[in-house]
Amino acid sequence: MTAVAKALPGRRSLRAWIPAGRVALAVAFFALWQMGSEMLGKEWLPGPVLTCERIWSLVMTGQLARDTLVTFGEAALGMAIGGIGGALLPFLLRLSPRLMKALEPFLMAAFGVPKLALAPLFILWLGIGMPTKVVFVASIVFFLMFYNGMAGVLSIDPRLVAMARVAGAKHWVISREIVWNTTMPFLFAGLKIALPRSLSGAVVGEFIAADAGLGWYINNSRSLNDTTGVLAGVVVVTTLVILVNAALQKTQVRALAWRPMSRDMTI
Amino acid sequence: MNAASPTLEVRSLAKRFPPRNGQAEAPWILADLDFSVATDEFLTMVGPSGAGKTTLLNIIAQVDAASGGEITFRGEAMNPVSGTLKPGWGCQIGYVTQDDNLLPWRTLIDNVTFPLRVQGRLDDAAMERVTTLMRTVNLVGFERYYPHELSGGMRKRASLIRTLAYDPPIILMDEPFGAVDAQTRTALQQDLLRLWNLGRKTIIFVTHDIGEAISLADRVLVLSRSPAKVVAEHRITIKRPRDLSNVYKLEGFGDLYELVRKELL
Amino acid sequence: MNLRLTTDRIVIFVVLIAFWQLCSLEFGQHWFSSPLKFVDKFVELGLNGEIVFHMTYTVKAAIFGFLVGGIPGALLPFVLRRLPVVNAILDPYFIAGYGVPKLALAPLFVLWFGIDLEPKVALVASIVSFLVFFSTMAGVQSVNAQFVNMARVAGANESHIARHIVWPGAIPYAFAGFRIAAPYSIGAAVVGELISSNRGLGYMIQAGATDFDTTTVFVSLGTLTMIVVLVNICVAHAERWLLRWRPRTGAGAAWVPGA
Repeated sequence: MTAVAKALPGRRSLRAWIPAGRVALAVAFFALWQMGSEMLGKEWLPGPVLTCERIWSLVMTGQLARDTLVTFGEAALGMAIGGIGGALLPFLLRLSPRLMKALEPFLMAAFGVPKLALAPLFILWLGIGMPTKVVFVASIVFFLMFYNGMAGVLSIDPRLVAMARVAGAKHWVISREIVWNTTMPFLFAGLKIALPRSLSGAVVGEFIAADAGLGWYINNSRSLNDTTGVLAGVVVVTTLVILVNAALQKTQVRALAWRPMSRDMTI
Repeated sequence: MNAASPTLEVRSLAKRFPPRNGQAEAPWILADLDFSVATDEFLTMVGPSGAGKTTLLNIIAQVDAASGGEITFRGEAMNPVSGTLKPGWGCQIGYVTQDDNLLPWRTLIDNVTFPLRVQGRLDDAAMERVTTLMRTVNLVGFERYYPHELSGGMRKRASLIRTLAYDPPIILMDEPFGAVDAQTRTALQQDLLRLWNLGRKTIIFVTHDIGEAISLADRVLVLSRSPAKVVAEHRITIKRPRDLSNVYKLEGFGDLYELVRKELL
Repeated sequence: MNLRLTTDRIVIFVVLIAFWQLCSLEFGQHWFSSPLKFVDKFVELGLNGEIVFHMTYTVKAAIFGFLVGGIPGALLPFVLRRLPVVNAILDPYFIAGYGVPKLALAPLFVLWFGIDLEPKVALVASIVSFLVFFSTMAGVQSVNAQFVNMARVAGANESHIARHIVWPGAIPYAFAGFRIAAPYSIGAAVVGELISSNRGLGYMIQAGATDFDTTTVFVSLGTLTMIVVLVNICVAHAERWLLRWRPRTGAGAAWVPGA
């Protein structure tokens, strides 16, 4: 029972309807999907049964496993490179507040540019193999980790640092105690957002440039007007991302500022 | 002072909140609480912190429900135990809370006229009353300011005259001057008495400050710790209008203060 | 202090350009173009109207998508506020939907809606709607219960409370959603164009890359960056005006791009 449901005022009997309502909604969704498919034709909207059949055949031929591995590999590598770089830079920048202030508008501009727009450039330079996707994912993760790392570094309380200095702490002790501990939660929050993003980033990167991987499969199916293939691929990617998200949920509360606050709905 | 039929009568009021996880039973906050307020009477209730004073006012204002007891307002039963609440009892019970609760996105004048606007009673006569109130508490000139641009004392005054502006027959006040510094508090108390003199109304004023309770009131009720009930009652015979800078020196004040202090232990 | 900051920034800018020129000389203009060629091409495409043409297409897609997604996304929480059971039923689906990478749906949209504006608008709308919805929802749910009580005691009915308390209280949150969604909408429009389009800045980038015309790619990227910076500045100004009743937060508060 989600926190939103638990916090509902009113009689217990009303609350009992909620899981039933959710199941009913899911059933209705699949029913509508099937009906829509029959009405619009399977070239336009393949039904749930057709999509599952396609996914199954992909599993059987081993293609699903191959493509998934490719995509995961790109995501993991990009995550490692971008994550380390993006997490380190705020610590370095912290040492020169003047540089930090001066760089601000440039970083803001770079932050706003959609990384995918750089993809054709990467393709130009690196071709359509794995390095392109890795660089692409790395660029996404870098900015994510950098943004969170900066927020962490900026939140360091200078009074704590002053107190530590007065108490005689050396520079590296301050770094370890105060800087690291203050920034850690921010970096973890960034990591949790970056993980699913690196996956979807790899997929989207493959739309533009690839010859293997889940994203390639989706876009390739599109160019062949194979709607079933597109839908099957999208379902697989969506499921994977949802699973990754769910796994992360279990480990810790996600620090997404715009998530609904599970407070009491005493409105 | 009116000794005729009371405006508000509270009988055997009881309240406890639902038990927490792991608690067998929740403790009673209010138990067997009895008192009444006469028309145009300034009643203060003094009790230790955490005695349930806010809870009591919430119940009277119909913001919260009671677990037992009855309340009669102007002869009408309020049914505090029932599930359906009528906050403000049809704009007849005003409530000045501890936090000023001014809407931060509205200017001072918009905040002060908010209840009138919402009740559809913002006519020329009402605006005149608002202007008089603003003048009495020295807020003229700050109409277009946002709450965050005003001092704590000014926000308190605004919150006070917001309720006075729509003139409910009875006003509840929950430690309204608790969160300001001592000098501002004395000034606000004087403002309150001045406003009360402009148009007498029934006031229930809750505080933990014994001196405040005695110097403002016609009658003081002393509450026990929780579960709260009335343990003592004192009639204050100091003549009005009262000068708050001197009232402490008056004969009998010190003795009464000591008496109440002992009753609170 | 301000003069030093400006000179610092100019210095950094010059360094970047010099670095660019160096790469261009070292690796060849073929791969990196050069600052001079950039300026040349920019002027050329600016004068013959090509930049404006493609830019308008992208911005149009972004704006339409922003409105189509943002308006329902902002209004839905207010509706759901009055139907708490429905909200509880839908809640896990909203969260799951938010987790779905919308950009991954781009080929699907192209297949369904063609290669003109529609799939881009759909893509942008799908992203913006979730961002704005969750932000606004947080705002609606964090409404100050004390304000609501105060208003009720003062005689307000449900419609008053919605208008005077919930709505203004939720606006800063809704706006945070809009602020985050704004650059995303440009980005999503470009992504849609990269996958399949014959117009727009994304198309310019793609076409330039296919023709091995690095200069055009840089020019389009440069235009894109300028638009994004402009959007951020506009949003920051709009926010400052809209939320002028808010006390200024402490210095060193969250580092927000565009703030």
